[in-house]
Amino acid sequence: MSSPKPIQAINRYKADLRELQFLLFEQFRLQELLGKAPFENWGEEEIRSTLSECYRWVREVIGPLNAPADAQGCRIDDGRVKTPTGFQDAWKKLYEAGWKAIAVDPEYGGAGAPHALQVLIEEMISGANTAFAMYPGLAFGAAEVIESFGTPEQKHLYCGRMFGGQWGGTMCLTEPQAGSDVGSAKTTASRNPDGSYVIRGTKLFISGGDHDLAENIIHLVLARVDGAPAGTKGLTLFIVPRIRPSADGSLGEFNDVDVANIEHKMGINGSATCMLNFGDNGACLGWPVGGEAKINQGMPQMFKLMNSARIAVGVQGLSVASSAFLNALEYSKERKQGSAITHWKDATAPRVPILEHADVRRMLLDMKSRVEGIRALAVKLAHHQDQVRALTGKDEQKAAYHQGQVDLLVPLVKAYGSDQGFRVCETAIQTYGGVGYTKDFPVEQYCRDAKIFSIYEGTNGIQAMDLVGRKLGQAGGANLQAYLADVAQFVQKYSGDATLGGAAKALGLAQEALGGSAMRMLMWFQTGNVGMVPLQGNRFLEMMAETTVGWMLLQGAAIALEKKKSVAAGHPDAAFYDGKVAAALYYARNVLPGVEFKARLMGDEDKSPLDIADASFATV
Amino acid sequence: MKILVAVKRVADPENLNKIKLSAQGKIDTTGLEPKASPYDDYALEAALRLTENGTNTKARLGEVVVVTFGPKEAESMLRAMLGTGADRAIRVDATDDVLDGDLVARGLKALVDKEKPDLVLLGYQQVESESAQVGAQLAEYLGWPQVTFAGSIKSEDDRALVVGREVEGATAQLRATLPAVVTVLDKIVKPKSVQSKHTSATHAYPEGVRFAALMAIMAAKKKPLAEVKLAELAPDATLKVHYGAAELPPKRAAGVKVKDVKELVSKLKTEAKVI
Repeated sequence: MSSPKPIQAINRYKADLRELQFLLFEQFRLQELLGKAPFENWGEEEIRSTLSECYRWVREVIGPLNAPADAQGCRIDDGRVKTPTGFQDAWKKLYEAGWKAIAVDPEYGGAGAPHALQVLIEEMISGANTAFAMYPGLAFGAAEVIESFGTPEQKHLYCGRMFGGQWGGTMCLTEPQAGSDVGSAKTTASRNPDGSYVIRGTKLFISGGDHDLAENIIHLVLARVDGAPAGTKGLTLFIVPRIRPSADGSLGEFNDVDVANIEHKMGINGSATCMLNFGDNGACLGWPVGGEAKINQGMPQMFKLMNSARIAVGVQGLSVASSAFLNALEYSKERKQGSAITHWKDATAPRVPILEHADVRRMLLDMKSRVEGIRALAVKLAHHQDQVRALTGKDEQKAAYHQGQVDLLVPLVKAYGSDQGFRVCETAIQTYGGVGYTKDFPVEQYCRDAKIFSIYEGTNGIQAMDLVGRKLGQAGGANLQAYLADVAQFVQKYSGDATLGGAAKALGLAQEALGGSAMRMLMWFQTGNVGMVPLQGNRFLEMMAETTVGWMLLQGAAIALEKKKSVAAGHPDAAFYDGKVAAALYYARNVLPGVEFKARLMGDEDKSPLDIADASFATV
Repeated sequence: MKILVAVKRVADPENLNKIKLSAQGKIDTTGLEPKASPYDDYALEAALRLTENGTNTKARLGEVVVVTFGPKEAESMLRAMLGTGADRAIRVDATDDVLDGDLVARGLKALVDKEKPDLVLLGYQQVESESAQVGAQLAEYLGWPQVTFAGSIKSEDDRALVVGREVEGATAQLRATLPAVVTVLDKIVKPKSVQSKHTSATHAYPEGVRFAALMAIMAAKKKPLAEVKLAELAPDATLKVHYGAAELPPKRAAGVKVKDVKELVSKLKTEAKVI
């Protein structure tokens, strides 16, 4: 019997750089923020070079490791996690190249780039090798928390080393009994006279909880100080290094953090998902992030971080979906099967590429519109973040508007990016047919890797609650009002447009339906009908995401139509701009009308999931 | 060591299938992203390896100057090369339609007289017309030794290079006294193809052209990039090569299916006349 074909170490990751440049420089006009504070070191040329060089880097360095690392997975050897072959070298090269430092403050050795660029760099790193990207991603996130809330000494000791890849990092929240319900965490912290705390407890599902990529790993651990209140109000975030460092960064004693197990998962197999035991021998020390004054401030600190972590997860969904779409497109141009529909009875008619079949074209344009729409949504969010940075201290009112949009859009990027990311990967498999289900092509791995995105970093159910329970009412509803006004302004401008008029009207109807549904949510809150809110939250989030994606696609299409006027026929840009318009019209005609429909369903106030008795779901 | 690397800017060779021909047989590359000809990228990589010790690729132990003949837009290509590690760049202001290999070689000669490098490195040919003219002509105008088709370069001291010249099925090891002109093959970016006098004999590079680190991309804009007028270098701009018209290679005719070996042999004898 022969064994299966070996997994090939070749890069399959694809990106369309023209599309990325369009978003940055044509749709969002990032150049208007460049060359002045806080982006004084950045110009268009640096951004274009960075994009193309990073694309070359991910394809040559981490892309070829993606499938082999998936097949090999991680293992525990002598009490330590061993990552897949090649990850150590890739980690070293990643930090030499500097991609993880792209938006880091120059104080910690970073390049201070706009978030809009960072999002696209992250898309490439994550899309080329999702599992690998987890390790530096978590290190970055943990360093950001210390940068935001740490004492000056903590920042000095940890930030530069963690942003620079010398030390790794993790976020330790989940426990066996405390998943989405973080407040049930049982890990304890007992104060020592010197201000350190003895940490005891078990954390579960810790991405990159142990690895062999860096000399030390800095865990951020949510724990309850002795005597602190129950629930989330009594949680404190601790810095718990795997090896205790001295103030000068030299490594000292082992800090009693042990990896007990790693999970066997559906996807991201190259990423070690660990169970960690803290203080089995009573010798695990932690220090509260921000010092003694920040005891019981763990959750507010986590919330600040969650914005960027949740954006990153939405971008993970985008990243694999985009490459899945581009791979499926390539395959559909090459694979010949069947004849043209006009010759369907003629068995001798020439076989045509499957790209010519209507159902394949439908799937491809569906994927294109979702991928490009989600990317535009993510860049829009990042662009708001950049404007917050540029306007803070100059125009607080405008900065507050942009921050409000950031807060509003985060759950959309996370939930819609991850849900649709998975579904696009599934559509890509369907486009391939049977071979898409095999490991000869990358899409089955993308699909397995993508499923976790809708679960971790706050399930998408949690995202919906964040949107309808916290974000809609923020600033007395002003953020939502500003958002709805922005959409309405676009609709007004383009309703009479020869090409986009119909689509703009469809967007207008979606916007009205969305606004009405938000009012309905508010009414449910006010009339005590609160059971409806979590029941319909997910639907509302999808409606708002679809409205925003439709809007962003149409905004891009309007720009593309304008730009196309000055492009010579036959120039590749002409086809590119036509594609932007086609994707926007498809989405406006096939997805946007669903927003109105869903609003109607919300109005029906169907409670059957609440009414059905537990025993009536099934007899087993 | 001071090295001048001459670079030609070409239409993205990965998308050559998108090149169009006008009715007059003129090649149209509109919309194709301009890039450095790949062999010139290899020449830059070789130049960087010759001016460092291999282990610390940030410390330059010599000077690398990149030069191209092109319009203002060519500066982004030069800037990218400064990000990769070149110290300085020069753009000779000209567009392709007023140039031929000979004029570029004469312009480079004038530039070399001014810059006085120890070595000029180029790709063995550019990927557009694959004419492989400039390196040889430049050496002739300068009266310098030249080694073409270099697959390896070792510098043991500052006076000479040992260059492995690829000839059919073998490598000729040639010793070239400096200053010299060397044109390189893609083999030059193999892990042990280039060794400076500072590099240990066991040092192996990652195969290929190095990546520009983010911080180097950011620092590149502070490196000098000078513009020189073509007329200052070559007052006589007469061209020796004139392009008539280009045509696409003829489409391959459909093949013939044969029944058996016998028919194949007979067709090879009578029709193809190859046996």
